[in-house]
Amino acid sequence: MSASAADSRSAQLVLNIYVGLFVLYLFLPLAVMSAAAFNSYDYPSVTQWRGFTLEWFVALAHDQRLLQGLVNSVLVALGVIVVSIPAGLSGALILTRLGQRSGTMLYSVLVSPVLTPGIILGISSLIFWRQFGVAGGLFVAVMAQSSFIASYAMLLFLARLQRQDRTLEEAALDLGASHTMVFRRITLPFLAPTCFTAAVVAFLQSFENYNTTVFAIGGEWTLVTEIASRMRFGLSPVINVVGVIFVVVTLLAATSYVVLRGKPKR
Amino acid sequence: MGSLARAYGKPLATLIALITVIWILALILVPLGAMVQQSLWWRDAKGSVSLTIDRLYNDIAVLELDQGNATDPAKKAAIEAQLAAKQAEVTELEAQEKNPPKTYGFANFTRMSSLHFYIFVRTIIYALMVTLLALVVCYPVAYVVALASGPRKAVILMVCLIVPYAINELLRVYAWLMILDYRGVINGILGWLGIVDLDNRGWIPFLENPSAVFLAMIYTYVLFMVFPMVNTLETLDRNQIEAARDLGASTVRIHRRVIIPHAKPGIAVGCIMTFMLSAGSYSVPSIMTRGQGGDWFSQLVYRQFYESNNWNMGSAYAVSLLVVCTIFILIMMRLFGVGLRDIAK
Repeated sequence: MSASAADSRSAQLVLNIYVGLFVLYLFLPLAVMSAAAFNSYDYPSVTQWRGFTLEWFVALAHDQRLLQGLVNSVLVALGVIVVSIPAGLSGALILTRLGQRSGTMLYSVLVSPVLTPGIILGISSLIFWRQFGVAGGLFVAVMAQSSFIASYAMLLFLARLQRQDRTLEEAALDLGASHTMVFRRITLPFLAPTCFTAAVVAFLQSFENYNTTVFAIGGEWTLVTEIASRMRFGLSPVINVVGVIFVVVTLLAATSYVVLRGKPKR
Repeated sequence: MGSLARAYGKPLATLIALITVIWILALILVPLGAMVQQSLWWRDAKGSVSLTIDRLYNDIAVLELDQGNATDPAKKAAIEAQLAAKQAEVTELEAQEKNPPKTYGFANFTRMSSLHFYIFVRTIIYALMVTLLALVVCYPVAYVVALASGPRKAVILMVCLIVPYAINELLRVYAWLMILDYRGVINGILGWLGIVDLDNRGWIPFLENPSAVFLAMIYTYVLFMVFPMVNTLETLDRNQIEAARDLGASTVRIHRRVIIPHAKPGIAVGCIMTFMLSAGSYSVPSIMTRGQGGDWFSQLVYRQFYESNNWNMGSAYAVSLLVVCTIFILIMMRLFGVGLRDIAK
């Protein structure tokens, strides 16, 4: 015992302190931002405290441009789900049936958008759709976002399909079920939970996206692009209120996700 | 393809193939091709054309005056012929002015000014530094979350990491904007301590320094390094570490020979994501600098599209950025000996 045990205990202590500092580093800026939302001072600040207020929450509820941005964000996210779930599912179904060589080629093409900087996806969609006379806007934003969100959906479907028992489908076919019936009664139900997860992931990715959207959105705006332009011109605690709402929603979602994910393990 | 048709039948297999092909063409390859094509041509904006047109209009006005004064029919006809010729010339030149001929070549790439090239290189160097720093900072964190804590603590830590990770990147940048702003947290504290004088605008202009972008960028993208590493480290059998320790390996040696080799795919993915995000980030520099700090390359690209309205030049810039990112990915894959399939797990 003794020396080495004490060594490892002090090493553990150093590690714990380090991780604690890291978590503090992650949360302190967010705490500062959230606190300023409740400060009765029309410039977002925590050092000049003028008393607790909820007036900025009321201001947000009356901010037409932000509310319209929220509506636009939801529209774009729904569009992304409609485009990227069928695309991701089809890609995954083909990939699981392809041989090693042609599979790798196709795979590289289909995951490449994930590894491409967001601004480039936005730019290439903007240029592509202009050739058809479609200017930047919500539609181009949907297309630009879908190009990489479909890849994420595909990866989720691929992971699920790897765990599929293919003999089930073959048995159904042998027993005289039609192909459509097999797909509808066996394949789709097996993939249903992943469809749901992929839709949630697609919605969140789309809702949060900035770097791709800002290039593709043209004269329209989403909640996130509107927040960004407010951050550049005209700071106001209303942005902090949006921040507080994001923090609270994320906190709830993340906690339930980890709890749900952690459960079947133990 | 055949096995797809066998499993799902011809109609369904065709539909699946069709959707995939549309995805590849309409969302990935053709837009990319369109961007590359756009970067390879430009129109010569000739100021001289407009001048010639102006002169021609002058001539036409004079001729019209002559035409009205002329009495001799032969002379009148001659003037009319001249007029028609001039007018034809004007129409042709105006068409050219409105729609100058396209020229293909690499000039959009070579014409990058030295300032823009300097910003390009600086952006890449900063992105590399962000990546390296994030790797050094995150490795111990990933190690603790994945290996050196009990299951309960790991869950709590995961929540602590996922929350800031899931919060919109703009808000993460904004938090730092509040901290470093003229009347931000740091200047506020310094003012309270009497070091700076806020009432007379004696604050320290953190935001006018490029390192503000750097700080916010690390904060914004650091977690993209943690999660890939945690994912690979979680699959490491802890008995391997125990065995190495029992066999007398030092801590450094265990990390070098057991843990890091196992974490390779995660490190590669983390580095690729962090580099790609920071090199191509538009949100962080555009919010943090407000036009006062140095530019980031993505801001130049944005301005080419939305301010100078020079899409050809902008596309060339975007292609340059894409090439750098692709090269970085290839280098990382070679360096860590991982394939694309390991990366996307």
